[in-house]
Amino acid sequence: MGLTYGWVIDPVDFFDLTPDTLRADYKADYVLMVAETYRTEQDPGLAARRLAIFGSQSPSAIASQGLEYARANGFADSDIALIQELVTALQAWSGIQ
Amino acid sequence: MKRIPFDIIITLLIGLGLGLAYSWLISPLRVVDADPIALRADFKDNYRSAIAASYAATGNLPRAQARLSLLGDASSIDTLNSQAQRLIASGEFTQADQLVALANALENGTSLISDATSTSESAVTIITASTATLPPPLPDIPFQFTETPQLIETQAPVTQSVVSNPTPRPTRTLIPTVGAPFTLIAQDSVCDANLPNGLLQVLVFNSKRRQVAGAKIIITWDNGEEQFFTGLKPEVGNGYADYVMSPNITYTLRLAVGSDIASGLTAPTCQTPSGETFLGGIKLTFQQP
Repeated sequence: MGLTYGWVIDPVDFFDLTPDTLRADYKADYVLMVAETYRTEQDPGLAARRLAIFGSQSPSAIASQGLEYARANGFADSDIALIQELVTALQAWSGIQ
Repeated sequence: MKRIPFDIIITLLIGLGLGLAYSWLISPLRVVDADPIALRADFKDNYRSAIAASYAATGNLPRAQARLSLLGDASSIDTLNSQAQRLIASGEFTQADQLVALANALENGTSLISDATSTSESAVTIITASTATLPPPLPDIPFQFTETPQLIETQAPVTQSVVSNPTPRPTRTLIPTVGAPFTLIAQDSVCDANLPNGLLQVLVFNSKRRQVAGAKIIITWDNGEEQFFTGLKPEVGNGYADYVMSPNITYTLRLAVGSDIASGLTAPTCQTPSGETFLGGIKLTFQQP
């Protein structure tokens, strides 16, 4: 009964969450935003900083996950190309400025 | 008379308590698949900045609107302006400019995503995607986009989201135009002994008579130039900025985004009712036609 109440009827209210808890499509869309901006700014350091809100994973790993999701879920080719460009840039970026 | 089964009741209560302790404290429901609306305020700020930066890069307003609606702000325009003011105060002018530009674009008559229809009953995820590969916008004409967002509907597996949120639907794409230069609609001398001497007050309004935060103002004089911004004193007004003029110096002022030039600005000499003289101020009002 206690478990039913605590997990189903009145679970702990969640707010003030961190970005790593976001649903995969929102994460991918965030990566796309960063990729759209990167296309203009051409600054991998800034893109890496924007992606850092997802936690301890490397920026290129975060971007790669976004790319995987985009490919698997029918994102437009233009968007996939943008994310691909970001992934490539971040893989080449050393992080040392 | 039947005896109350205290032992059973106590056992049940202990079980209930242990269950609650386990489900609330030891192993609470794991948070996955959260919506952006549930993010902490500072992460929402990051999300908003990313949206504004993306809009600055692509000029895709419907997509920016759809993304902003995920954050659940009561008024996206006010939230963007307010965040811009905080960024200006901390010296992050580029980000602030992007937020203000997005707020202005939203305000200038292109509020298209007002029909965000809830699709909660069928757990359908709608992903916006553009249909064309567009080159990056030219720097001087950042809003020349005509792409149409396309809806791709995919049946998502039923998952327990923390916060259910209507899925935004992009609608038709308008082509925003670059705003007209601001016009100097009023220039008044202010003789108020309660104000600092030589106070130059500037008010900036958009075409809908709403105050514009984050507008860069350039003031020049014989030997120098300075810049300041509206919105740093939100208690006075989002579109308010001020500057203290020195006596006997003539200033020229304009808005960086393009405006009439207010020239020959000199602090006037004023008199109190008792006959004492003091340095008065000037109030300039700019508005976009």
